[in-house]
Amino acid sequence: MQDIVNALVLGSIYVLISVGLTLVYGILKILHIAHAGIYTLGAFLGLMFYHLTGNFWLALFLSIILTGIAGIGVYRYFYKRVLEESRIVPLVISIGLFIVMQDLYRLIWSPYRQPFAVSFGIGDIRLKGIVITEHQVIILIVTFVSLLSMYFLMNHTKLGLAMRACAEDMAIAGTLGVDVEKTISVAFFLGSALAALAGILVGVYENNVYPTMGEVPSYKSFVVIVLGGFGSLYGAVLAGFILAFTETILVAWKGFVLPRDAIAFLVMITVLMIKPEGLFRRATR
Amino acid sequence: MSLDYILTLVTFSNIFSILALSLNIITGYAGQVSLGHAAFFGIGAYTSAILAVKFGVGYWWTLLASVLISGVVGLFLGLPSLRVKHDFLVLATIGTNFVVVALFKYIDFFGGPYGIVGIPMARIFGIDLSTTGFAVYTSIWLVISTVLNLYINKVYLRYGFEAVKENEEAAESIGVSVSLFKIYAFTISGALAGLAGNLWAYQMGMVFPDDFSFSISISILTMLVLGGMGTTSGPILGAYTLTFLPEALRFIQDYRMLLYGLIIVLVMMYQPSGLLGKNGILRKAFKR
Amino acid sequence: MLKVKNVSKRFGGLQALKGVSFEVREGEIHALIGPNGAGKTTMFNIINGFIKPTSGHVYFMGKRIDGLRPSRIALMGMGRTFQLVRVFPEMTVLENVLAGIGKRVYHSLRVFSEAVKNEKNVKKAMKLIELCGLSKHVDQEASVLPLGIQRNLEIARALATDAKFLLLDEPASGLNDQETKGLAELIRKVNKSGVTVLFIEHDMRFTMGLAHTITVLDHGEKIAQGKPEDVAKNERVIEAYLGKSMTT
Repeated sequence: MQDIVNALVLGSIYVLISVGLTLVYGILKILHIAHAGIYTLGAFLGLMFYHLTGNFWLALFLSIILTGIAGIGVYRYFYKRVLEESRIVPLVISIGLFIVMQDLYRLIWSPYRQPFAVSFGIGDIRLKGIVITEHQVIILIVTFVSLLSMYFLMNHTKLGLAMRACAEDMAIAGTLGVDVEKTISVAFFLGSALAALAGILVGVYENNVYPTMGEVPSYKSFVVIVLGGFGSLYGAVLAGFILAFTETILVAWKGFVLPRDAIAFLVMITVLMIKPEGLFRRATR
Repeated sequence: MSLDYILTLVTFSNIFSILALSLNIITGYAGQVSLGHAAFFGIGAYTSAILAVKFGVGYWWTLLASVLISGVVGLFLGLPSLRVKHDFLVLATIGTNFVVVALFKYIDFFGGPYGIVGIPMARIFGIDLSTTGFAVYTSIWLVISTVLNLYINKVYLRYGFEAVKENEEAAESIGVSVSLFKIYAFTISGALAGLAGNLWAYQMGMVFPDDFSFSISISILTMLVLGGMGTTSGPILGAYTLTFLPEALRFIQDYRMLLYGLIIVLVMMYQPSGLLGKNGILRKAFKR
Repeated sequence: MLKVKNVSKRFGGLQALKGVSFEVREGEIHALIGPNGAGKTTMFNIINGFIKPTSGHVYFMGKRIDGLRPSRIALMGMGRTFQLVRVFPEMTVLENVLAGIGKRVYHSLRVFSEAVKNEKNVKKAMKLIELCGLSKHVDQEASVLPLGIQRNLEIARALATDAKFLLLDEPASGLNDQETKGLAELIRKVNKSGVTVLFIEHDMRFTMGLAHTITVLDHGEKIAQGKPEDVAKNERVIEAYLGKSMTT
């Protein structure tokens, strides 16, 4: 039972990072490795503002906004001019950016792990021998609220419609009067804001923020969106939880020697061999 | 920098040039982007290390085994490329890299996290290869690999690859079996990476799982793209530049990685087909 | 030369082809026409091996080819062009044609040994380039050429494979009047040199003037086959196809 709670929390984090990445990927089809750098930025800004203001929720808010703007910057100044090039070009730029970001954080905030201790004063929940820590509660609630807002935004607002149209076909969306440029910026803003949210939550959960904390998410999040069908938001949500549960089960299973990351990739490769389009993509004829 | 140190860097550059040239066949020629090339490199290195240390096999046999086994593994790991395409393939190759490294780390036969140590010095034609000897020896292999690339350019193999890269349906329509050529690419490329693995194992005298991690695959791809995909001189230029650059930037130790990353970003933004690729500044400079 | 026997194709719930049979005789120019959604493209893709029929068979020069890979079918002597032109964009005109000449070796170990630009290959390529009116563009990269020229290049590339049978997928689409005329002339010339041609097309004037035989599909069924003038008089055809397009 305890495993289920842990897997749910792990899944929530995967989902937050991956949904943001899916937004960006859905529109630009770029393997945006630097998303993990954005995630780390969110964590550092959150920690910095928390130290400055002493108010966690205010710090969270400020970090999300600033990180979102940084995300727009990544699009405007780096990706925009190479969109016409072979897809490998933005990929390499993204890798380069990720290296630059990690090193910048090291220079600005030191290479050491810094604690991010926050107490929410609601205490841990104990139920028939299962412990849900207050941090886990917060993660589950925040994820739930974010996903609900995303669902509303994508399905019941003009902006969501514009984003879905751009993901489908940017040229056609443009001729239909969608402001493509603005929509892409919004997608980067939202995607990066979600990454910041994830970064801060992980920082608090692990009580740790450090420049290379984005290494694992940089590829893990791609496993999630591949499983989810590359670009499908619902797919990413489901895949995030499925991956978290599979990993937890296989790690708990004593006979299995491989570490978490290898398991994630084994799952992904197996799925790709059986369903090359990912788990949740409607078949494109 | 001492001469020995420079010669060691030359050896590294040669090994990475061979790796970039081998990735060039999959990615530059056949258009299949792979971000897991270090897996083939590692398989080659581990093959030589295990044979030399555990079974006392002589140098030439380890070399042959590395090339053959990496080639065969390349063939099998190339099979996913028949099933999945584009970004899915990129992710599948990353995944392969992680799984291979995990196997090195967690299976005792491969020496676990501490790798395999005590690989003897390479002995060829009765000479033990020292630092200088190894720099010369790897240079010879780099020349051979280059000639191999140039040869491929001349024969129909290259046209088959190019056809697959530019349009798979059109390739089929002129009799190019897309699957067959992808398998060719992965096999040849795997074998060449196996050669690089053998050289690495004997240069270092030991192998560790992390020598072949995802970040090494990223470096190899970056070298290739920076120099110019699909060209023969580009991958070599890329490998030498990215091996020597961090050393050249030593005087600003603290900003080394930052500049390294920035250079990658800027070159890609302003020279998207690479320094020696179509419209590359260096290509133009040479033509003039 | 090509026999389609009772071919059906179902995509999920959609029946794209219902038991279609027809034959293309050696030496003719044969057109496959029909209104949108008639199943022409599906038929085409079954013939060249991109999709497999749900039932029925296709025979090419006496051998069953349904279910074979496209490259195998190409090897047997069937060349093709695409509706949305698919030349190799980064190769020059000469290289595109040379790539086609390689058909003889792609399935053998000679890919590892035969030089591309040997005298014999280049000579053959230049002949085809001249035949297809591409001499001015020999060393130009294919991607920079106008659409009409790219289409001729596709034909040259297909002929380079020594194809005895040419499949043309809407060859006139996107071309202006002059280019269309030139194309018809080229197809006739190619046909006279002994190549059988099967094409699908929307342009009725082009089709009527060029084809020796026309097969008409509608809603996945064959509704008529015959000489252009007979097909034009066929009531079912007029109703299903000509009627609609004539009134618009």
